[in-house]
Amino acid sequence: MDIDTVKERAGPREFGPGDDMPREYREAATRMIQFHANSEIMGAYIERPFIRQAPSLDRKLAVSAQVQDEVGHGQLLYRAAEELGIKTREEMLDELEAGDGKFLNCFHYPLDDWYELPMIMFFVDGAAMRRQATLKRTSWEPYAHAIDKICFEEGFHIKHGEDILRTIATGSKRDRERLQAAFEKWWPRILQFFGPTDDQSTHGEFAMEVGLKTMSNDDLRNAFLNAYVPKAKKYGLELPEYPRVEYHEADDYYEVYEEDLDWEEFFTVAKNEYPTGVGQIEKRERAQAAVEWVRDAIESPEQGGVSPAAADD
Amino acid sequence: MVDGPEELSDRERAAVEAELRTLADDEFVVAERYTEWQVRGPTLEADIAIANIAQDELGHARLWYDLLEDFGYDQVDLIWERDPADFRHATLVELPFEDGDWADCVVRGYLYDTHEHLRLQALEDSAYAPIADRVGKVKGEETYHREHTQNWLERLAESRAGRERIQRAVDRLFPHALTLFERTDHEETIVDTDVRPEPLADLRAEWREVVSGFLAGLGVDVPVEDAAELLPDSRGRDGTHTEAWRSLYDEFTFTYRQLGRSEAPSLMPAPEEADVDV
Amino acid sequence: MIWEVFRQEKAKDYHTHVGNVHAPDAELAKQYAQIMHARRKPANSLWVVPKEEIETVHADDPGTEMGGTTQKQYRWATNYNTDETFAEEIEASQREQEEAERDLAEADN
Repeated sequence: MDIDTVKERAGPREFGPGDDMPREYREAATRMIQFHANSEIMGAYIERPFIRQAPSLDRKLAVSAQVQDEVGHGQLLYRAAEELGIKTREEMLDELEAGDGKFLNCFHYPLDDWYELPMIMFFVDGAAMRRQATLKRTSWEPYAHAIDKICFEEGFHIKHGEDILRTIATGSKRDRERLQAAFEKWWPRILQFFGPTDDQSTHGEFAMEVGLKTMSNDDLRNAFLNAYVPKAKKYGLELPEYPRVEYHEADDYYEVYEEDLDWEEFFTVAKNEYPTGVGQIEKRERAQAAVEWVRDAIESPEQGGVSPAAADD
Repeated sequence: MVDGPEELSDRERAAVEAELRTLADDEFVVAERYTEWQVRGPTLEADIAIANIAQDELGHARLWYDLLEDFGYDQVDLIWERDPADFRHATLVELPFEDGDWADCVVRGYLYDTHEHLRLQALEDSAYAPIADRVGKVKGEETYHREHTQNWLERLAESRAGRERIQRAVDRLFPHALTLFERTDHEETIVDTDVRPEPLADLRAEWREVVSGFLAGLGVDVPVEDAAELLPDSRGRDGTHTEAWRSLYDEFTFTYRQLGRSEAPSLMPAPEEADVDV
Repeated sequence: MIWEVFRQEKAKDYHTHVGNVHAPDAELAKQYAQIMHARRKPANSLWVVPKEEIETVHADDPGTEMGGTTQKQYRWATNYNTDETFAEEIEASQREQEEAERDLAEADN
């Protein structure tokens, strides 16, 4: 199939493994789905300390289940990407460890404590859910299929995040102050979740043309703000003065002042070069290197796979 | 059959409580260590499976702690504000492990699950009905756990590197696994009143036979000395713990202390309300 | 090793493809499939099949004509309108066939 035919036919769940897709489409889809899959894994990495730190048995169960789901979503998405025939799951996971795999800006910042958890579990996951809902209509059918399952599971994550937010927001004055501080720290990153406004990136445009994406980043950001700014206010959170976000009632539009956001940091993050993000990637790399011996042992037991530890003896 | 604490003498109450605490604490702490594998497993699938096992164990802890609430405690007394020296779990479940030591995970799981299976079988006949009633649910999930660890042990044992790793884990963990069978001060009453009709000494003998047979079949050596010679200094059941326990306790109570609340939020109905066949 | 997973929701349903698991052997594949693909969705049974054992025939493959190219109306209930009404189960069968015909027609476009 040539690229013009792809653009002409592009529609919800239009293409699958049986179609002879041009390399350009397969590469663009791989880039997008791999980014999504990586984000699930690195998002799980951000949340995992709170399985241990959760302050009740039920919360611990819920956070553990959420982290488990994120890894499961990674599994589903790598599969959808793998079917494009560009990279295997192993290659994509190797890239992630090596620092070559890109993922969402918010997952480059580890969370300090429980007060910050709802910033990820409610706002960031809420933003992700907003985007994911539009991907049910993506043109790569295996991706849409994975999205169906992800959306099916993800609802409880955001509801649990909101429950944590509500519990803190209805606590002591000190709790509310700490929550507000966490919100002010995270709000600019959350605004940057959908990238720069009027994003002219060539990747984005192509993805729209071939039906991989179905909604522009601007529209997604606006839809997110429409739903979540009122939520923030409901829980007593005040939008900081900067970055300025202005609501235009006439056209139901939230204007985000680009110049108030730190785009240099954003693009450093995007390149996997921001220090906290580098730290997260290195943690993942160390953890994966530590279990490399297991994969060797199960993949080629007949070779007797001399373990590094044994070789050191 | 006894249906609740109000039908028990003081001595019997203490015995049921002691049995429940060891059950609940073992499950709670073993789950804490399992969750460390989340997002760190050798494959995505292994990661997702171990998360599930951790949640199962936490769910079991929840069932046993819930029965302790019948004795007038709440979750805060039982976990979040409990003196760490009052926890009665075996030292096996609290031990830390080196990064990437998947052999520790499966050996620990195997030793623990085999013990749990035998202990639950004994508790099916408990004269304390609330315990006997919940055994079925717990056992259902334990079968998966045991098969999972056995499958992994068999896979790993096929390679020399894997077998060596298993051997090292067995050498390290076996003495601590023996603390699963250490007595509390109430062992005699527990057995005499049929809270658990089978004494720990008998369970230990059965466990050693099963474990030694299976591991020997994989080409792994299992200690043969008497328990008295092998047991570590800290025994868990008497409130003595390894160094690792205190830091683990500080970590899992961190947010609870930081929030300064005096309750632990519930997100689900209590087990007895959740469904009738618990 | 990759295993494709097929889930049957309840007894007598068809097994439908739901995804895959990576596992070193069938035993672990079965265990992983339970967690990966059945921890929320109901499952009465699961099949795990080595991916490389699955053979595919595709309609676009040269020389492939799923069922042939010449007229096949004789296979369809809609072709036989001897009377104006039929027994209820015959009507139902016809409705299903009409649906299938529409699907086929769409697939050809």
